Amino acid sequence: MDAFLAQLPQQLVNGLSLGGVYALIALGYSMVYGVLKLLNFAHGDVYMVGAFIGFFVMTGFLDGAGPIIPAVLVVLLMFLAAMVGCGILGVGVERIAYRRLRKAPRIAALISALGVSFFIQNAVQLTLSANFRSYQPQLLIPPELGLSLLDVRISATRGLAIVMAVVLMFALHRLVQRTKLGKSMRAVATDPEAAAMMGIDVDRVIVATFFIGSALAGAAGVITGLVFIRVWHFMGFLAGLKGFVAAVIGGIGNIPGAMLGGFILGLVETFAIGFVSATFRDVIAFAVLILILLIRPQGLLGAKLPDKA
Amino acid sequence: MRTRLTVLMALLALVLAACGGEADETTTTAAAPDTTTAPAPDADTTTPAPTTTEVMEGPTAVPDGPITLAVMGPFTGGAASIGQEQLNFARLAVQHFNEEHGWDVQVFEGDTELDASRAVTVAEGIISDSNVYGVVGPAGSQEVDAVGQMFTDATLAFVSPSATDPGLSDRGFDAFFRVVPTDADQGPTIGNFIVDEIGASSVFIIDDQTSYSVGLADQISDALDAGGAEVAGRESVTQDLSDFSSLATVIGGSGAEVVAFPGQIASQGALLTRALQEQGIDVTVFGGDGFFSAEDFIEGAGGASEGSYVSSFAPDITGVDEAADVVTQFQDMHGDFGTFGPPTYVSAQVVLEAMLRAFEASGTVDRAGVLAEVGNTNLASTILGQPLSFEANGDVVGAQFFIFRVEGGEFVLAD
Repeated sequence: MDAFLAQLPQQLVNGLSLGGVYALIALGYSMVYGVLKLLNFAHGDVYMVGAFIGFFVMTGFLDGAGPIIPAVLVVLLMFLAAMVGCGILGVGVERIAYRRLRKAPRIAALISALGVSFFIQNAVQLTLSANFRSYQPQLLIPPELGLSLLDVRISATRGLAIVMAVVLMFALHRLVQRTKLGKSMRAVATDPEAAAMMGIDVDRVIVATFFIGSALAGAAGVITGLVFIRVWHFMGFLAGLKGFVAAVIGGIGNIPGAMLGGFILGLVETFAIGFVSATFRDVIAFAVLILILLIRPQGLLGAKLPDKA
Repeated sequence: MRTRLTVLMALLALVLAACGGEADETTTTAAAPDTTTAPAPDADTTTPAPTTTEVMEGPTAVPDGPITLAVMGPFTGGAASIGQEQLNFARLAVQHFNEEHGWDVQVFEGDTELDASRAVTVAEGIISDSNVYGVVGPAGSQEVDAVGQMFTDATLAFVSPSATDPGLSDRGFDAFFRVVPTDADQGPTIGNFIVDEIGASSVFIIDDQTSYSVGLADQISDALDAGGAEVAGRESVTQDLSDFSSLATVIGGSGAEVVAFPGQIASQGALLTRALQEQGIDVTVFGGDGFFSAEDFIEGAGGASEGSYVSSFAPDITGVDEAADVVTQFQDMHGDFGTFGPPTYVSAQVVLEAMLRAFEASGTVDRAGVLAEVGNTNLASTILGQPLSFEANGDVVGAQFFIFRVEGGEFVLAD
């Protein structure tokens, strides 16, 4: 019990940073599901591409000892490049693999999504090899830099990751709730045909949804690289699955739900390692998913969005 | 419509190409290297003669059919830096053998990605290729376990340059040999070093759920018990775990002075040292032979692994007299290397020399003959700086482990 209390604050920090990544991935899943009722299984691989874009921007601005331009700028560029790159990739995937299947049975688009997932994975393996690459965040942000409160230590990198995740989520929330585009997105999610009749350009809204969702995945990829270091072509598979689980826990199609689900999953996994056993991390995470779905089949916040199917 | 689609596809290609364009790693064989027979290193000097009469013009006779040496290893995937080194050393051994004896032995690359089920598929391909008369590899103990009976049934000798699970000696794999010592030696070597040299009284142990790692972790645990050190905790992680922060908190809370992590994926060792450093936890990391990768464990850790230890089944051969030529030649071709390559050179040498002896004895090369001759191996010295012969169960006679420490960004022999 003493050990539990002593480690709890640090494990909370660990869990929040992992949860932030899951939440950002879950958002893209949930948004796309919201407007298209499509499980975009290529989403995890878009996240992986984002992690690699961040990696190559970082490597490009490093020369052995340190960055050749101010470190803050490098980090910003990493996020910017990964988000824009992934946004474009997401829009491309939608155009090539999903648009023509929008009227087809839902299973067709699902299979198409799996195909895109394999395509991206293999394309990256082919061009970049299957080797692990390591981010070198210590060259941008000194590892000594950070905050120590009692037994808790938050390194500057981790702090940046958590702040970045929260800022992006807040920005998305504002966008969906306060802007015209956000209103259109909500309208299309509720009823695409009625939205079209009201003069909303549904295609444009869908493209915007894919762009924003994929950009968030790109940011999640960069955060993963900065905090968890290791990136490789297959990293998107499990992360995508976890993001999907987080979206389902929160109630798929629901944006605050995806954020909540992401943080819950991150905390559950971290606590599983911290207080039970690392061996059972995934078992416990998926057991929690099943438990939540048994009690609330629509997910924690799922009721907010009526299912029109 | 079509033009817009083309533009988008071009954009997609551009994004991917932009990623690819900056890749500058030297180890790039991701493009389906698994079942391709590699071209001869230098086909111009030693063209295989079509008839036996022409063969006689050389200093020694040469077998008339094509002869292939299969090399199994993790040429891609998480252990690729190790696998590439193994492959390059095996190639060098073949090149040396061909130059010395006028043979034209080819290399068959079997990429297993350190995965037992892939190793089985690769082994099937090797066994069905009638030109293959001997195998170097596979690298991992779990792979040897998976393919051992297949090669034994095919009377095809296979010599692993890095499988160290002691249990493999008792599996009745008659075709199995290894040129490295087993974890029955490695576990006690690590455990005793932690107790006697580092002087730690409390140790946390992690394994990565492979038979190699669990077995070695058990051996270390036993040695610590015997030496009077306490095992503060034992955890087991999957090889794809990247977030070690939660585990680091647990280790920090356990009061351990040393964390022993005999994993197979060196980058996981780097991630563990980074997570400990991030939380300001002062614990020494001790890896097994799987972490002996300068690229993954030292460069990948960005300084966090400084002061960590790893064990190795082979010495640093840059200090071995017999190895001087091989060292300079390899460095000219591929740059620096670790401890996985040299035993692979020796493994290839063992199989090739066995082929030569089998051919000289009977006038032909066949699998059973090569297998018998591998068992008769008796090298007075190798590039590992020690003589080499095999026990009846395929283990090496009188081998030992070495301990290295990360100092100034390099592995330095600790003693």
